[in-house]
Parts: sequence; structure tokens; C-alpha cells
Amino acid sequence: MTVETIKRPSGLTALANPTRFLALVRVLLPIFTAIALVLLAVGLWMGFSVPDDYQQGRTVRIMFIHVPSVWMAMGAYMTMVSGALGVLVWRHPLADVAARAAAPIGAAFTFLGLATGSIWGRPMWGTWWVWDARLTSFLVLLIIYLGLIALWNSIEEPAKSSRMAAIAILIGALNIPIIRFSVEWFTTLHQGPSVVRAGGPSMAPEFLHPLLIMGLAFLFIFLALHLMAMRNEIMRRQIRTLQRKAAQSNRTGASRAEIAQ
Amino acid sequence: MTALFGTEYFGFIVSAYGVVTFVILALLAWVHLTYAARKRDLAKLEQAGLKRGSQVDG
Repeated sequence: MTVETIKRPSGLTALANPTRFLALVRVLLPIFTAIALVLLAVGLWMGFSVPDDYQQGRTVRIMFIHVPSVWMAMGAYMTMVSGALGVLVWRHPLADVAARAAAPIGAAFTFLGLATGSIWGRPMWGTWWVWDARLTSFLVLLIIYLGLIALWNSIEEPAKSSRMAAIAILIGALNIPIIRFSVEWFTTLHQGPSVVRAGGPSMAPEFLHPLLIMGLAFLFIFLALHLMAMRNEIMRRQIRTLQRKAAQSNRTGASRAEIAQ
Repeated sequence: MTALFGTEYFGFIVSAYGVVTFVILALLAWVHLTYAARKRDLAKLEQAGLKRGSQVDG
């Protein structure tokens, strides 16, 4: 291969270089933060301006934060699935970073989905919790997130930990369609889909629009948090590499001193 | 917004928005504090004369 035939890396390959990726983070982070803040302001204003729902009354406003939290909980998991495929199929250096960084954020949004759902359920269903298929499978998602975080932290060797976590993520992904279709497969107290469904959303536009705006706001909050968490994870790896280098040079120095004696 | 006050569901709505605000702010604090700590650790290691393959700033 001649020098002329060597191509500069492009696309995802170029981002394998941490310096390039961190430069991209510096550009994207303020943009995502600004978009999230604007969408959040518009979404909150729209959400608190809607009339009361004929069934839910004023508690319909809880939907504007509950549904986006649930979307982000599942979206974060799908980000981890892409990361897992990146580790196992393409062996992209950033894939494990992306998956690992998404886990605590996904766990937080899953907790928010459960908490806001429970707060809405008390006045509307008369109970904080029922063991129906939707709620239970969503609780399982939180347990999967916590298990994956524990798995990453319990295996010291990086390559082994990323492979093991990638396999566990793909196994855990079976729960995502169960969450999605649980309200169709089983009889649940939780209502059926009203936004993403065959035949289009069944929700009135005056409630649908603030919900979609809040959904976009939560998406940009997730993207900004994920970029920041990925930057932290890259730095953690850089620190570990330098500490190993330091330990190695200390050992080499010590053995040279022993030989000299 | 003012229509919310004094309603029977006021506490539920405020609690839901409160928990979301708290958790998102906690996530933000966590990423910022971790970033500051990692930057400090990298600076210490570089001061000790250790070089890394790529530069981190920001």
C-alpha cells in the first residue's frame, strides 16, 4: 500500500480517536443544552396551559413528564444495545464507552418512569402499584440496568468486562419488546398505547403536542447527559492507562536498582 | 399554572415534577463533579511527568 492510498479515517472510525470525539463533544454539548432548555420551556408552558382532561383532570400534566421519562428509559437501553453490537461486531473503541455511559442515565429515567407513574396511579387508579405486566416488566428494566452497572464495576479486565456486559445487554434487550407489547399481550391496569400505535395517535392534539415537545426536550437532555458521561468515561480510561504506566515504570526502576546492586 | 393551586391533585402534580427536577439536577451534578475530579486527576498525573496519547481539555 502506498502513502497515497492510505485514506484519512472518516465517520464513526474517525471518532475512535478520543481527541476527535472530545472536540466534537465541545461543539455539540452547548447546542444540545440550548435546544433542551428551549424545548423544556416551551413544553412546560404548553403543558400547563392545556385544559383538564375529561377523565384524568389536572393529573394529565403528569403524563407530560411520565411518558418522556419512559421513552428515554427505553431509548437509553437501545443506545446500550447499539454499543453492545459495536463491541461484539465492529469492536469500535467508543462502543463500550457509549454503552457504559448510558447505563446510569437510563437507570435514572427508568426510576423516573416508575416514580411519576406511581404518583399518577394513586389518584387515578387508587393505588401506587400493581403487579401488572407493564409495571412489572418496567421494574425489571430498572433491575437490568442496576445489574449491568454492577457487572461493569465487578470485572477489572476491560476487554472481558466490555464483552460480558455486551452479551448481558443483548440478553436484557428481550425485555424491551415485552415492555412495549405487554399492554397488548396481557390484560393490564395500565392503558394501551396512545401515541405510537397503528392508525396514529389516539390522543387529542392539544395534549399530544405538549407531550411531543416534552419528549424532544427529554431527548436532548439525555443526549447532553450522555455526551458528558461519555467524556467522563474516556477520561477515566485515560487516568487508568497513565496509572498503569506509572506503576510499570516504578516496577522497571525497582528491578533495575536490584540488578545494579 | 395558578389554576393548579388549591386543587385536590396539587400535591401529586408537584411531587411528580419535583422528583423529575431533583433526579435530572442530580444527574447533572454527578457528571459535572465527576468531570472536575477526572480533570484534577489527569492534571496531577501529567505534573508527575506522565504523557498520554491524546489531549483532553474543555
